[in-house]
Amino acid sequence: MAAIRTRSLTKEFGDVVAVDDLDLVVEEGEVFGFLGPNGAGKSTTINLLLDFIRPTSGSVEVLGRDAGGEPAAIRERTGVLPEGYGFDDPLTGREYLDWAIETRDASDDPDELLELVGLAGDADRVAESYSKGMQQRLALSMALVDDPDLLILDEPTTGLDPNGIQQMRSVIRERAENGTTVFFSSHILSEVEAVCDRVGVMNEGTLVALDSIEQLRENAGGQATIRLECASPPTDLGVESIGGVASTTVDSDTLVVNCLDPSVKVDVVTHAAQRATITDITSETVSLESLFNDLTGGGRDGEEPADRGASSPASDGRGAVQ
Amino acid sequence: MAKKDFRGARRSRSLWAVATLLGLVTALIGYSYEAYQATPTTSVQRMFSQLVLLLMLLLPIVALVASYMSIAGERESGGVKFLLSVPNTRRDVFVGKFVSRLGIVCAGVVFMFVTAAAGGYARNGTLPLTLVAGLLAMTLLYGSVFVSIAIAVSSAVAARSRAIAAAVGSYFVLVLLFVVPGLSVFMIAQWVHRTLLGMEANLDLYNAVTYVSPLTAYRKGTNMFFPDEMEQRVFQRAADASGDLPVYLSEEVSLLVFAVWLVVPLAVGYLRFRGADLQ
Repeated sequence: MAAIRTRSLTKEFGDVVAVDDLDLVVEEGEVFGFLGPNGAGKSTTINLLLDFIRPTSGSVEVLGRDAGGEPAAIRERTGVLPEGYGFDDPLTGREYLDWAIETRDASDDPDELLELVGLAGDADRVAESYSKGMQQRLALSMALVDDPDLLILDEPTTGLDPNGIQQMRSVIRERAENGTTVFFSSHILSEVEAVCDRVGVMNEGTLVALDSIEQLRENAGGQATIRLECASPPTDLGVESIGGVASTTVDSDTLVVNCLDPSVKVDVVTHAAQRATITDITSETVSLESLFNDLTGGGRDGEEPADRGASSPASDGRGAVQ
Repeated sequence: MAKKDFRGARRSRSLWAVATLLGLVTALIGYSYEAYQATPTTSVQRMFSQLVLLLMLLLPIVALVASYMSIAGERESGGVKFLLSVPNTRRDVFVGKFVSRLGIVCAGVVFMFVTAAAGGYARNGTLPLTLVAGLLAMTLLYGSVFVSIAIAVSSAVAARSRAIAAAVGSYFVLVLLFVVPGLSVFMIAQWVHRTLLGMEANLDLYNAVTYVSPLTAYRKGTNMFFPDEMEQRVFQRAADASGDLPVYLSEEVSLLVFAVWLVVPLAVGYLRFRGADLQ
């Protein structure tokens, strides 16, 4: 059974189309990363999954049930770390967690959860006084109560320091290993790269890519580049004739070779080493970052919409910018 | 849901300050009121009559303030996301908030009556139970109506500023417009009927219009428990009017008015909350 399934899901706010005809399936047990620049529609989609807002058209099913029709039943098996939450009541962190445990009728030990998220020492301070990172940790602990089948995390690393981020990652991995489906949104690529099985990329309300990370890299036609610094200008090394080499350039003492696949790089190095003296090697692979840039046209900071189609270089139809 | 809200409210220092202040005021009234040349019982009755006059203006404020932020505040701050992230339905949130705030206001009312009765007893040595019990019941109804209105307002809007505006607006329309001499609903109704529509003056019609307000209902309803000579004159009568008030202006109708004001705002507020986008 699909953990999450949307069909032609659309949400409009006045004349802004926040989510446009979204068809998405997240399988049970997978870790799914929902990527996109600010304003792409990620949080809106999550709000639709949770019945915080209602769709303009289309349908949303979570754990096999209609999100609008049976929200409480869905919430029984779902843990949520929302975005834009607030701790308004004058309750301590522990009291908030106790309330979550009580409302879910769970038997979790609050101290264990607080320990897991790193709040053991501050549990008895009023939640409102927590720093952003601490509030995020508390929100995570509340999401983990009663070991839900599905975890929906909206920008989970917001406000966390590197330790917190690492802890978040290990919690996600651990839960996923136990069969929990994890759906999280982020605009931080390294986070998605580190834990996800599959990635969906949103841009301006539309899903522009949906695949595993390796597949995305391959489809974008990204190139692997290797730079060989040589003792003397490396002209005429015949590297172009190696299978899998896309292009070569010589930049004073450096030979820059673009390969179609990272596995070709070692052939290039071996070939060049037999014909020249190599003093340094630098290897680059298309990072998810440039892929992301291609797919989303730079997001808010990118070029004007009119330029986008013309300027994205190595994208094929699958990963093309809309 | 109600427990969590109640626990949070219990911590609110301003709430305790207000409660203490009101308690002191009512105790003071209870103790210090002394009618001129009257029996102890009459004294206490008159004292409660004054208390009713005070409460009719003050209690709506207390009830509105205690409740108007309950849901709108959660929506604006994002706290509502937590409330709905656990297996709560929107109905649970709505009902829970209502029950909790209602509990707080009712506790406050009971507290005020106890202190007033204690003050009155200390001063006059007598306590007319039927009067106190009846007035308490009426006052609880009156307070509940305004909790209901405030919860409805709170759940129907998304921003704190709108909740405040609506709460102030309802106090103005339902209370102030019925007590301020120069600007009363009675006169407005009369003007519309006679001047705009050009019809014969019909005082009982205007009285019926004023009976829409919970304030009027409170004043009429409390009359049920006072001896005849102490009843408030709530309705104006024509100079040649004789006999009793028509049925629709009787004291018992106050209960009907309260019932409507309890149920309708809650229904409207809930329906709006249920269908709303929360972000």
